[in-house]
Amino acid sequence: MSEEAKNPITEKIESTKGGHFYKEIMKDFRIKESLHGCLNCGTCVANCPAAAFYDYSPREVCQMMIEGDEETIEEYMKSKIWNCAQCFSCKYRCPKENSAADIVMTMREIAVREGLAAEALAGYTRIAKLVLTRGNQLAPDMLSPDAFPDWGPRMIELSSKKMEMREELFKGFPGMNVVDRAWAAEDFTIYEMQRIWEESGALEKVGTVFPFLVDIVQDDMDDKKEEMEAKIEAKKAKLAAAGK
Amino acid sequence: MSYEINDVKTAINPGKGMSYHVHDIRAEMKRLEEEGEIKIGHIIGPYKEEEVMYGIKKKIPLDMHYQHKSCGQCANLPGVPRSNFYYRDKLGIKYYNDMQQTSCTAWNYHASGLGNLVQLGAVAARNWHRAYEEGYNFTIHCVTSFGNYLEMRHLLVGNKELRDEVKKILAKLGRELVIPEEIVHDSEIAYALRDKILANADPKRLEGIKGLVGVEHYGCHFFKQVSDDIIGGKRPIVVGGLASTLGVQMEEYSKWFMCCGFGFRHILVNREFTRSAQNIKLKAIKDEVDPDMILVNCTGCGTTFDKTQWIQKAVGEDYHYPVIFYSQLAALALGAHPFKEAGLNFHVTPVEPLLDKMGIAYN
Repeated sequence: MSEEAKNPITEKIESTKGGHFYKEIMKDFRIKESLHGCLNCGTCVANCPAAAFYDYSPREVCQMMIEGDEETIEEYMKSKIWNCAQCFSCKYRCPKENSAADIVMTMREIAVREGLAAEALAGYTRIAKLVLTRGNQLAPDMLSPDAFPDWGPRMIELSSKKMEMREELFKGFPGMNVVDRAWAAEDFTIYEMQRIWEESGALEKVGTVFPFLVDIVQDDMDDKKEEMEAKIEAKKAKLAAAGK
Repeated sequence: MSYEINDVKTAINPGKGMSYHVHDIRAEMKRLEEEGEIKIGHIIGPYKEEEVMYGIKKKIPLDMHYQHKSCGQCANLPGVPRSNFYYRDKLGIKYYNDMQQTSCTAWNYHASGLGNLVQLGAVAARNWHRAYEEGYNFTIHCVTSFGNYLEMRHLLVGNKELRDEVKKILAKLGRELVIPEEIVHDSEIAYALRDKILANADPKRLEGIKGLVGVEHYGCHFFKQVSDDIIGGKRPIVVGGLASTLGVQMEEYSKWFMCCGFGFRHILVNREFTRSAQNIKLKAIKDEVDPDMILVNCTGCGTTFDKTQWIQKAVGEDYHYPVIFYSQLAALALGAHPFKEAGLNFHVTPVEPLLDKMGIAYN
């Protein structure tokens, strides 16, 4: 893996096709590994659960990228990409080792960055907030029966008893019996996670969909900054000493 | 069509870019370690070699397990992490339940497109470094974390630009890039330990398990996202392998490959898709096998199978298959209380008829 990757498919189409979204997608280095030509065999579609229920086709995803078909790409960018279940069945089965699921992931990233994802991410606020303020993605409190009525009557019973049940289950396991997050990640850990989102540009991207969330995270970081940065400095010194 | 026939060599030897194709990731990691580009978190203590694709041997650590927990399991199916701890306690395996662990954030990423590769890579590397600095082998409870960490390993090994960006962030946190020698899912460990679990099992419990009929379902991110580094190769074997060792009669069904319908975002905002996909899977399971239980290794799939059976009454179906994780089965075999220690009372699809059949008291 010491030499530059050559992919005749992506290199040829990159130099000849136009269109804003197309060009943005082609900038992602993953595309070279996700698109190796297409036989139009339909194996991906036959294995795709999203194609079974939605107007979505992994074959079309690969074809539109090979053709540089901006009109279809735009159609996908605006809504169809959100139908993909990200199961990678297309990738597993494709005889050309294409990965429509990976192409879709690149497109979702771009859709968020370019402000096209607001509708798709409506109802996603709680997850995003939990990731950025608690260091994990799900909490028992989020699984309320009113949010999941189709999960049946036993959810109501579980919800009312979850505190006692968790206490019994996690006796002797500190940090596990919590309901506002998956486990009690330490403040310093959450701060490190927030720094990663900030430094990687991911927090700025969150702001395109949930601007208020960026303010919450930055306020949270400011409140504990001095103490946490001192801890980080201590870690850096320890690492430097170990290096010597 | 305006494309040329691909050069076969491109697919096999992808060069500098990332690769999911045939190459020796372990040899490449060794090279990068020798060049001082990365550190490797080498396996600590005893291990067992198991075969993955192309006959490559994967080292499964048998002790000193850093427990990378699953946020979905801890929140929704807490009996799974509890069972993971339980079977280790019973077998005398040392483990570390770290409160400085974060989620991998891959569920968020695949559902929403929030985040990016540098962020995902840095989050992965921070958790890897936690295991390294505490002196444990990195092991993973969640299938999406497993798929994500396999992918992040490939990306960070194969792409210098990404690696440099991640290393810059790690340096700002007082950490360094230490890639685990092996990315191991907990169900692979339970499979590697299957004979030891059997040897330590409660004979009465084994009597109850013997002859139960089971089907298995594997998370897509366990074997489709990066499919060349799991025990058994492209068709997973670990859950059924453990279960059959313990006496379960494993049966095939035609829709084994199909996604459960979790869909990351669909389970939250498009559950009509989840329910429809589930009905296809459950119908095949019912018509072709009608088992005593569905055995799983994935947080999302376990949730989907467990929570989406009741609503199928709306389309005239009556499904009632208890959803049991590999580690809950192991814990039961080793003598765990089904509710207080295996957490089966957190499941929505009733487990009581199965426990009655197994002769296990639960009240």
